[in-house]
Amino acid sequence: MGKNKIEWVKIPLSRRQMLKSTAAFSAVMASSSFSNAWAQSGSTLRGRTYADMRSLDPAFSQGVSDEEIHACIYNKLIQFKPGSKWEWQLDAAADIEQVDTTHIKFALKDNIGFTNGFGAMTAEDVKFSFERVADEKMESPNKPDMDALSHVEVTGEREGVIVLKSPFQPLWTISLPYITGNIVSKKAFESVGGRIDTEVVATSGPYTHFSWEPKQKTTLRANPDWKGEKVAFDEVQIFHIDDEKTAEIAFEAGELDFTRVSLASLERLKANPPSNSTVEGFPSLYYVWVGMNLNNPKLSNLKLRQAIQHAIDVPSILEAAYFGVAEASTGIIAPGLIGNRASNKVPSEANIEKARQLLKESGESNVSLRISILNKQANVTTAQIVQANLAAIGISLEIDLHEAATFWELGGNENLELVINRYSMTPDPYYATSWFICEQAGVWNWEGHCNEEFDRIHKEGPGELDVGKRNAMYQRAQDIMEESGAYKFITHEYTPNIYRNSIKPALRPDGLPLYRYFQRS
Amino acid sequence: MIMKQNNELQLIIKHFFRNILGVAGFLIVMLMVLSAIFADFIVPYDPIALNIKERLQGPSFSHLLGTDQLGRDIFSRMVMGSRVALQVALPTVFGAVSIGFVLGMIAGFGPKWLDNAIILLLDTLRSFPTVMFALAVVALVGPSLETVIFIIIVTSIPTYGRVVRTQTLSIKSSEFILAEKSMGSSTARILLVHILPNIFGPIAVLSAMEIPTIIGLEAGLSFLGMGVRPPTPSWGSLLNEGYTLIRNTPWLLIAGGVPLIITTLGFTFLGETLRDAVDPKLRKRN
Amino acid sequence: MLGYIIKRLSLAVLIIVFAITLLFVMIHSIPGDPVSTMLGPRATPELKASLEERMGLNEPLPVQIAYFFTNAITGNLGTDVFTNRPVTSIIGEQLSYTLMLIFASISWSALLGIFLGCYSAIKRNTISDKILAVLSVSFIATPSFVVSLYSLLFFSVYLGWLPAIGAGDSDDLWDQLIHLVLPAFSIGLSWVGYIARLVRASMLEIMSENHIRTARAFGLPRRWVIYRYALRLAILPTITVIGVGMGFLLSAAVFAEIVFSRPGLGKLVIDSITTRNYPVVMGSVLLSTIIFVVSTTLSDIINAMLDPRIGRQL
Repeated sequence: MGKNKIEWVKIPLSRRQMLKSTAAFSAVMASSSFSNAWAQSGSTLRGRTYADMRSLDPAFSQGVSDEEIHACIYNKLIQFKPGSKWEWQLDAAADIEQVDTTHIKFALKDNIGFTNGFGAMTAEDVKFSFERVADEKMESPNKPDMDALSHVEVTGEREGVIVLKSPFQPLWTISLPYITGNIVSKKAFESVGGRIDTEVVATSGPYTHFSWEPKQKTTLRANPDWKGEKVAFDEVQIFHIDDEKTAEIAFEAGELDFTRVSLASLERLKANPPSNSTVEGFPSLYYVWVGMNLNNPKLSNLKLRQAIQHAIDVPSILEAAYFGVAEASTGIIAPGLIGNRASNKVPSEANIEKARQLLKESGESNVSLRISILNKQANVTTAQIVQANLAAIGISLEIDLHEAATFWELGGNENLELVINRYSMTPDPYYATSWFICEQAGVWNWEGHCNEEFDRIHKEGPGELDVGKRNAMYQRAQDIMEESGAYKFITHEYTPNIYRNSIKPALRPDGLPLYRYFQRS
Repeated sequence: MIMKQNNELQLIIKHFFRNILGVAGFLIVMLMVLSAIFADFIVPYDPIALNIKERLQGPSFSHLLGTDQLGRDIFSRMVMGSRVALQVALPTVFGAVSIGFVLGMIAGFGPKWLDNAIILLLDTLRSFPTVMFALAVVALVGPSLETVIFIIIVTSIPTYGRVVRTQTLSIKSSEFILAEKSMGSSTARILLVHILPNIFGPIAVLSAMEIPTIIGLEAGLSFLGMGVRPPTPSWGSLLNEGYTLIRNTPWLLIAGGVPLIITTLGFTFLGETLRDAVDPKLRKRN
Repeated sequence: MLGYIIKRLSLAVLIIVFAITLLFVMIHSIPGDPVSTMLGPRATPELKASLEERMGLNEPLPVQIAYFFTNAITGNLGTDVFTNRPVTSIIGEQLSYTLMLIFASISWSALLGIFLGCYSAIKRNTISDKILAVLSVSFIATPSFVVSLYSLLFFSVYLGWLPAIGAGDSDDLWDQLIHLVLPAFSIGLSWVGYIARLVRASMLEIMSENHIRTARAFGLPRRWVIYRYALRLAILPTITVIGVGMGFLLSAAVFAEIVFSRPGLGKLVIDSITTRNYPVVMGSVLLSTIIFVVSTTLSDIINAMLDPRIGRQL
């Protein structure tokens, strides 16, 4: 392993802290390694994913459910670190250093090899893996996360430099430790024409892909040639169960070791957990809000929109739709991330007096609106509360249910009025603001929100290396959203997990599993 | 002639009320119809009024079947659900019967090519997988009471159409129609005066027997989230909520399922007894 | 007779083509497309366009339908939008679960139904016959998805006797059987009533026929006559009814698969229609329509063979 040869030219404070904690983490891992030695015989970990596997090619990964598998069978330069803070740790990289704002040097470990005889992992593989995602011809849906990449310079068999087109801080929070960071074998992929679907050609992670039974489960097996930290399980089975309720029943029947459970059951499970299991909750990053289409003439009156903002009572929604366990949100960026706001400009609690006043000032009367929602229980419940809230100030609201495919087409619909929406999120604020810029209007910016200052923040944010300044920028961005009157922020949701006490889960701060780090207790 | 018909009717009524099940079915159906009509006076609470503080409570004197996720009174929602069931069942039966009648009579009485075309249409409609068809329609126009009615009408037309066609065919070849024809009666006259009244009995019975299927289908679609819009209560949407909250409370499932089962039973008993009563052959046998 | 069979079969083919074309048009005209579902929020318009082109979605609808049928004849149903696997193998996997469920449901309900039907016929007009009659009607009238929900609530959630979800471990036969119990029970229940009634009615009819009476007059034991002659004849219409019932069983299976989260054709259709996974939707629609039309056509033909009057009528 190469020692630190390069001086840190410019390293943000938070990154330095991260490195320190990474070192501490490695130490812990080293001391615990002997205790894993016994944990090797005939053990199976049974987890659950909400969506079926769709692709084993990281370039065509469909998000979290594919990544849960990819993270076990592929390696990345750096990985998310399990725990309650968003941090990363070294994986395939022995060293990784930000030389300047657009150059990142890395050196690979020398003990990582690909299965099926595809040899050791080299810097060429890193170059191939990153550049193929960024390559327009590849048509990877994950391209935006590698958009900032200019190229990877190979400087040695296991050394190279990532060269960016422009400074891009989310590289450390998304591009490298998440989907696009997975390193595949160049030789292996080229031998099958450059991309794969649901059959692996070569993997390098601590687990290998053993089988996939569509709509049922994915089975991973410990990689016998893995030279890194020994894994705790011989086999990992990830069951595809889309409904959380069903997963709970499966857990209680002893068919799963780890699963997310529904909010509805949290109280019951906490009060009376199945024997030998633990229930734990995590704040998630998702953001849910009620949006109003600014381009619809029915909602063009700012005072009317503000009246609606003030009429909606978030605490009731949290109580009924989220079973009183989720917190009210202050925007699109969750606590723990750069840019999170401490409070809302429009309070979460309804203010009926103010709402009535605003409605009166708006001069609108006999307002009747429609709210479009995706056909999911939490949305249906939320919509009915919003309906009751608006009825209290004399606005009638009709609820329009949509199944998934029609719902996700609504963005381009000019007749859209109110909508309950929920977007997924990665641990970098740039990911959240990217949907609400002018360019996205009618695509993913369903409210048609368009603000020059907001767009500038989104453009400059990723290049801002000063954490404090970056923080303030994204906070301001959310102020702008709220001032437009088009948003009432609801919640970031909550992720309750349940697991057997025989295992020690390794989770991201938002409660999502990092199966490769799961341990036996 | 009139005397004879009266006797026949008396016989039917007499037979009907001798049958315990028929009476039970009749009572259940009456109860259901009455509760649908007078739902507003029966319900102790506004079935759509939220009371979030009192959500998910068990049964008590103030809430006979407890409350749902939004603190609404489940009993009140159950009673109101009977209204949706009837609102769907009646127009659906009416629509499907009338369309089925027209198509079936045309097929039975019209030229051979038209008959074939209608058979093709009916068989095609019949072979649509109901759930897929419903999913497609709901995705196309959005879920609502009208959508449900439309879907069920389309899927039940073939049943009526085929029965009417077969009946028309058999009556058409019967001797008295042949005699009418030879006497130069017009087709319209034959259809209206002779065939229509003769098909009416079997269709009335079939309608009564189809109502439980229709109510079940409506509940099924609502269970899949393809039925009435919230917050309108229907038995199917109660079942849907009950399924997602199956570990929290059984009362939603009970409130959605029990009246559904009882109503379908009621209509089935009624229909069966009616069929036996109308058919002289069966009347004698049982 | 042969003429009738040919006529009926060509009608069946026509119905399939007609129904599939209609559904094809319907499903393609509803908003939403697999491209946006597949590429997710981050797709650029260019990316969408190129994927659409590859999937043939930019072709006019009649051309797409023609492609679909010409490919389908050669057994090629296209590939899954998301995983690029052949649709035929996806459907094959899921179909086996559905067929297993349907087979299990119909087996137990036929066994019990025939037994109860015989019993009622023999004990005609006794109290137990009357009770069975009411039970049969009640079974028929109860929607199968309500039975699914209640058996899930009772046997899995409250008693914890039987597994609630899934189809069981694929290499553990016992586990699979255990997982079949509740869904097969729910689907089969109404068929128990249906078959019992049918068997009772046909038994009564047959028992009143001359040769049975003659056999009995010859002093053959009553039981022997019933099992030897009557039951055999009475089962024929039952088989026909089961044939017609295939289509309805498919619909009932959809609900059971949802309630018990079982893999199967119904669940596949719902999942693929919500993601607008056109090749999978059309493949499974084609298959279920074929199953339905073939089974009704067969039972029509069998009926016609048994009852020559129908043959003349058509």
